[in-house]
Amino acid sequence: MTRPIVEIVGLHKSFTRGSEKIDVLVDLTLNVPEGEFLALMGPSGSGKTTLLNLIAGLDSPTRGTIRVGDDLISNMTEGQLAKWRTRSVGFVFQFYHLLPVLTAYENVELPLLLLPLSSSERKKQVLNALDLVGLANRMGHRPGQLSGGQQQRVGIARAIVTDPTLIVADEPTGDLDSKSADEILDLMVELKRGLNKTIVMVTHDPRAAARAERILHLEKGRLVRETSGIDHAMHHFNGGEHITGAVPEREVRR
Amino acid sequence: MRAFDEWLLNFTDNPLNVALLAGAAFLVALSFLWLDQVVFYTTLIVKSFRRNVLRSTLTSMAIMVLVLVVTLVWSVLNLLDKVTSDKARDFKAIVSERWQIPSQMPYSYVSGLARGGARTGSDIVPMDSMTWTFYGGTTDPVNRTRENIVFFFGMNPQKMMLIQRDEKGNPLRDRDGKLIYSSMMDDIDQATEEEMLDLDRHCREMEKDRSKVVIGRDKLDSMKKKIGERIKVTSFNYPGVDLEVEIVGTFPKGRYDASSLVNIQYILDGIDAWKQKNGKPHPMAEKCLNLVWLKVPDTEAFRQVADQIITSPEFKSPAVKVETASSGIASFLDSYRDLLWAVRWILVPAILATMVLVIANAISISVRERRTEMAVLKVLGFSPTQVMILVLGEAIFIGVISGMISAGIAYIAINARGGLKFPIAFFPAFKVPDEAIWWGLMIGGATGVLGSLLPAWSARSVKVAEVFSKTA
Amino acid sequence: MSLIDLLWIVPVGSALLLLTGGLVVTLPLSIVLLFVLAAQLVGLLRRVPFTYNLRNLLVRWKTNILTTIAFICVVALLTFMLAFVNGMYYLTSNTGNPSNVFVLADGATDELFSNLGYGDVKEIALQPGVLKDEDGMPLASWELYCVVNQPILVRKCPVCGDLVPVDRFGRELIEHGSPRCEGSGRSIVGSRGRRLLQVRGIEDPAKSGKVHSIPLKVGNWFSQSGVQALQGSTSAEQAVQAVIGEGLSRELGPDAGKRALEVGDTFDLGPRKWVVTGIMDSSGSTFDSEIWAKFQLVGQQFGKPTYTTCVLRTKDEEDAIKLAQFLKTDYKKPAVSAQQETVYYAGLNTTNQQFLYATIVVMLIMAIGCAFGVMNTMFAAIAQRTKDIGVLRIIGYSRWQILTSFFMEALALAVFGGLIGISIGSLCHGLSATSNIASGPGGGKSVVIKLVVDHYVILTGMGFSLFMGCVGGLIPALSAIRLKPLESLR
Repeated sequence: MTRPIVEIVGLHKSFTRGSEKIDVLVDLTLNVPEGEFLALMGPSGSGKTTLLNLIAGLDSPTRGTIRVGDDLISNMTEGQLAKWRTRSVGFVFQFYHLLPVLTAYENVELPLLLLPLSSSERKKQVLNALDLVGLANRMGHRPGQLSGGQQQRVGIARAIVTDPTLIVADEPTGDLDSKSADEILDLMVELKRGLNKTIVMVTHDPRAAARAERILHLEKGRLVRETSGIDHAMHHFNGGEHITGAVPEREVRR
Repeated sequence: MRAFDEWLLNFTDNPLNVALLAGAAFLVALSFLWLDQVVFYTTLIVKSFRRNVLRSTLTSMAIMVLVLVVTLVWSVLNLLDKVTSDKARDFKAIVSERWQIPSQMPYSYVSGLARGGARTGSDIVPMDSMTWTFYGGTTDPVNRTRENIVFFFGMNPQKMMLIQRDEKGNPLRDRDGKLIYSSMMDDIDQATEEEMLDLDRHCREMEKDRSKVVIGRDKLDSMKKKIGERIKVTSFNYPGVDLEVEIVGTFPKGRYDASSLVNIQYILDGIDAWKQKNGKPHPMAEKCLNLVWLKVPDTEAFRQVADQIITSPEFKSPAVKVETASSGIASFLDSYRDLLWAVRWILVPAILATMVLVIANAISISVRERRTEMAVLKVLGFSPTQVMILVLGEAIFIGVISGMISAGIAYIAINARGGLKFPIAFFPAFKVPDEAIWWGLMIGGATGVLGSLLPAWSARSVKVAEVFSKTA
Repeated sequence: MSLIDLLWIVPVGSALLLLTGGLVVTLPLSIVLLFVLAAQLVGLLRRVPFTYNLRNLLVRWKTNILTTIAFICVVALLTFMLAFVNGMYYLTSNTGNPSNVFVLADGATDELFSNLGYGDVKEIALQPGVLKDEDGMPLASWELYCVVNQPILVRKCPVCGDLVPVDRFGRELIEHGSPRCEGSGRSIVGSRGRRLLQVRGIEDPAKSGKVHSIPLKVGNWFSQSGVQALQGSTSAEQAVQAVIGEGLSRELGPDAGKRALEVGDTFDLGPRKWVVTGIMDSSGSTFDSEIWAKFQLVGQQFGKPTYTTCVLRTKDEEDAIKLAQFLKTDYKKPAVSAQQETVYYAGLNTTNQQFLYATIVVMLIMAIGCAFGVMNTMFAAIAQRTKDIGVLRIIGYSRWQILTSFFMEALALAVFGGLIGISIGSLCHGLSATSNIASGPGGGKSVVIKLVVDHYVILTGMGFSLFMGCVGGLIPALSAIRLKPLESLR
């Protein structure tokens, strides 16, 4: 078996709020193989977003190690993390977070400006990414002139434009109507299949999670169970009415 | 009670004070009539001030520093305006040489001028008079510096301060217990009773012993001399007439801190001694009277005395001129005319404009940030005008408070240091006048209103539907 | 120390502390940031694209324009004030010749108080080192300097526009016009009633002109007698001939109802009539505000029969310094004070310095006020864009890059406002104003000053705007980078 792209061992994260110490993640171990589409689910406060942020190098763990690719990111300084993020990881946010004053093209170009590329190379990559998300004809528009779904697609283009191996998405469909959400999820599945991207997605929408290959359920900072998204999806596509609970479950090793 | 009467008279003398009193009364009436409304608006305004403490503080700091500059500049202009406008009481006529600057007249003019050039019984004689002789010298002729140069006013010390005393030497007082004194000098009435008594004692000593002098406290400091010390002054405008003097005291704090006073007779003695020694008159002997001040009751008397003097054959070589104190000072300031014009009409307006812009900036930022909130207020039933009043009120609140604080600090801090020391013409220092507090209030309030007009209007016309459609 | 002292020591002290503290932190950091910005501009360092800043500036155009106008006000004012002070420096440093020695009576610091009437002063000119003219006479100018009060006798009536005499007290216009003009009796109190003119009595105008290197622009030097018959006058009265500075000819012009006095025009001064025989080409020096006339006539009219000043021409600067030193220390019949002429005029800078200091103080205070305004703008800009900052950080932009990005935005406002402000302020270049220059209390000359905007003024103005931009932009920019990327997205 090839080495997993994300390897997390004994991860522990706690915050202090006032005098109180809150354990958000407790002794978590997780491997994500390359090319996997993984969904993280769980109730509010379960630690799923914290886990995502740690994988993306936006936060550092209290204890434990995180390796992404060949980089041990849990030991990196903030500056190193910033550099690492530019090349190795792409983000998709719930509220898109495009810079309102910049056009779609310029928003996608932003991360590339940090890399040593010629302007023609940059242009090629940006157009590629926009093409991939199907917005090449809208590249001169500002975010305010785009619909939510279109904005999120620009967000995805921005995430993949540096050709990172890992894409993290925090509730990418949370702010969208169901039609746009489906389009976005289709796009993400396409990214995984066509470009072999590894995707880690946080969601509390079971329908979104169902498009993933594997779903990890977190509760109180621990992985409580793991389900298979594809099965779920098949069930869904086969016309199943109700989704949750209809999936075969198995206990995860603690 | 009498003191209160006097204070009230003085207070109501200034139209600004009356206007403000009326304004305050109006506000009080307002708050009685619509107490709950006033409380409501005030609470909202204070709350919005506290909403963004950082911005409020920055805006208020900006207003404070700018009001500070305006206060300082106006303090200078205010005094210059005051001294160049005629006083109704204590009308002063200044007699000086007609053509030349500096004015130099023979000392023999004194008695004739003191009579106001009166020749016939119907002519007017001035109420009082005094003479001025400017004597400049240094305590260190070899190494002359700004610090060791001293300019003496040579005059009759009794014209500086003379308190009426009884046979035993006790000072006489009027019915209110105030000292009965006479002085030809300006602003002496600002001194405390103790300072007046001291000054009177010094002047009497100078009368007895002509070698005694009074020197202002700032001048003493810069010369590094103390009261009681004897100094030798080498003159540069009366060459060879050097004075050995003893410092007996200092002036009341304030206007005369950089001045020095010597008995004119002591200078005249020196000029005589020079003649004895050199066998010929001193070159300045016929030129040692620089100015004569005459006190006349009113404008009419001034015109007549001026006529008497100008037409008198006594004062023809050199010819003399007579002007009011104010026009004398005004023409002295004439060389600063363009400068003062620029300060008044360019500097001050530019500062005020900057203030308006800073306030406008801050208020329009806060209106933009609170569009939703204003829309909510409108939904709750606030009229557009009420929303506008809230914005205007916030600007006025910040403006008035910061303006008053700034002017207040300037008033207390600068006056405690004896005034603003900006050497223009012969004014040693400029006090921040009492009105400055009102200036601060007015400037802050007015710039607040001007700066918030547009933002307040835009707050007034916030469209509820638009705001909510955007946030939805 | 009294309680009241505390009241001013505390605010002033803390303000100074803040200012110096702020400067100690701001200045070095600002300079580093300016270098980083320059490197970003030429593409050496990576940056947040400038279009981002530019578009944001445009989006918030209202507040940005307000801030820029405030900048324009302050910088235009600074340019104006500096141009004035600069004009005074130009005047004092352009007056006088470095090879001239300027002799006054012993102990006198100002021509006005000098009196060379003791002993045989003429021998001073015979000392070695003084240049001789073609006739073998020493190149020395003997002068009597005095300031004369000139009442303004006529004024333009605001109603009929005629030149109307003023009453004896200089208070109101006399009755005039037929039928009687509305402006009769109009009060003119508060406007100027007189001028103080500088009169220099000299023996030989051509020689004095040579010593001072001042040629005539038009006309002739006054004659040996110094007087001439009045044209068209039947009386035996003779007018005093005078040559006057160009600036003064403009100042006196309005009395005669013209823009400037010309050769042949007369004016009243003292008890006599004066006639202009020549106009001196003296622009840019204090002689521009002077009247030169025959020594004996000046002394007799104004009661000052002795010389006040003697100016000696030497071969060069070195000789002048040597001669001045000799006259000052070794020459004793009578003792005199002597210095290089340029040194004397430079000494009149005391007033300039006072104005310079006052200007600096006023401008610093205003700059601080303006910087607060910039801070407001930038803090608001940042508050509105915290999410942008978060996104940029997550994408991988470093704190430095975000710091420079916001810093640059403030600087852009400052530079833009500064440039316009300087341009507006520069419009005052060449305007003239009267002012008083002096070396200390008591003395002084009333002179015509031309406002000068030169590269110093422009650079100072630009430096000032940068300073305001740095102070006002840095602190908000620093606050922007304190945000954690995750927090700013919440």
